[in-house]
Amino acid sequence: MKNRLKVLRAENDWSQAELADRLGIARQTVVALEAGKYAPSLPLAFKISKLFLRSVEDIFEPGPDE
Amino acid sequence: MNKTNMNPTTLAQRRYLRQMAVMTVAYLIVLYVAVTALKHGHVGDPSLRYAVALLPLIPVATLVPIFIGYYRNTDEFERRMQAESLAIAGGVTAMLSVTYGFLEMAGLPHLSAWWTWAVLMVSWAIARPIVGRFYCQ
Repeated sequence: MKNRLKVLRAENDWSQAELADRLGIARQTVVALEAGKYAPSLPLAFKISKLFLRSVEDIFEPGPDE
Repeated sequence: MNKTNMNPTTLAQRRYLRQMAVMTVAYLIVLYVAVTALKHGHVGDPSLRYAVALLPLIPVATLVPIFIGYYRNTDEFERRMQAESLAIAGGVTAMLSVTYGFLEMAGLPHLSAWWTWAVLMVSWAIARPIVGRFYCQ
C-alpha cells in the first residue's frame, strides 16, 4: 500500500520518533509504514488521518494488486 | 515527558523488560536453591523431591502472563511481527522434533524434552529480527 506519510511528516517538520510518539506507536512502525511494507489497521489509519487533518484516502492509496 | 503522556508502546516495552529482568533473577535464585537442595540430599522424601524440582516453574510460569500483557499492550506492528516469528518458531520446532523422532526410531540416541524448549526459544529469537528486517528494509 502506497502512502504520503513521509511527505506529510516532512511538511510538519517531525522526525519519525516524534510522529511515533504522536500516534502512540513504535518508531519501527513508522519506518515500515513509510516504506509501504506494512498496511495499518483501520483504527491506526483513522488516527493518522485525524493527526494530519486529511481523509484516509488522501494519505493511503492501494497498490496495483489491492 | 510526564509518564501519563508517554508513548504507550514505549511504556509497554519498558514494563516488559523490567518484569522479565525481575523474573529472570527470581528464576535463577529459585533454581539455585532447588538444585542445591536436591544435590546435597536435603530432601529425602521422593514426592517432596518432585515438588522441589518443580519449584523453578513458579517464576517461569509468570513469564507467560508477562509476555501476553506485553503482546496486548504493544503496538499493532510489533504484535504482527511477534505473531509471525512465533509461527515460524513453532513450525521449525515441530519439523525438527518430528524429524528427530523418526531418526530416534532408526537408532539415534533418545534426547531430553529440554531440547524442544531450547529449539523453540532459539528459533523464536532468530526469527524475530529476520521478520523485522523483511518489513523495515
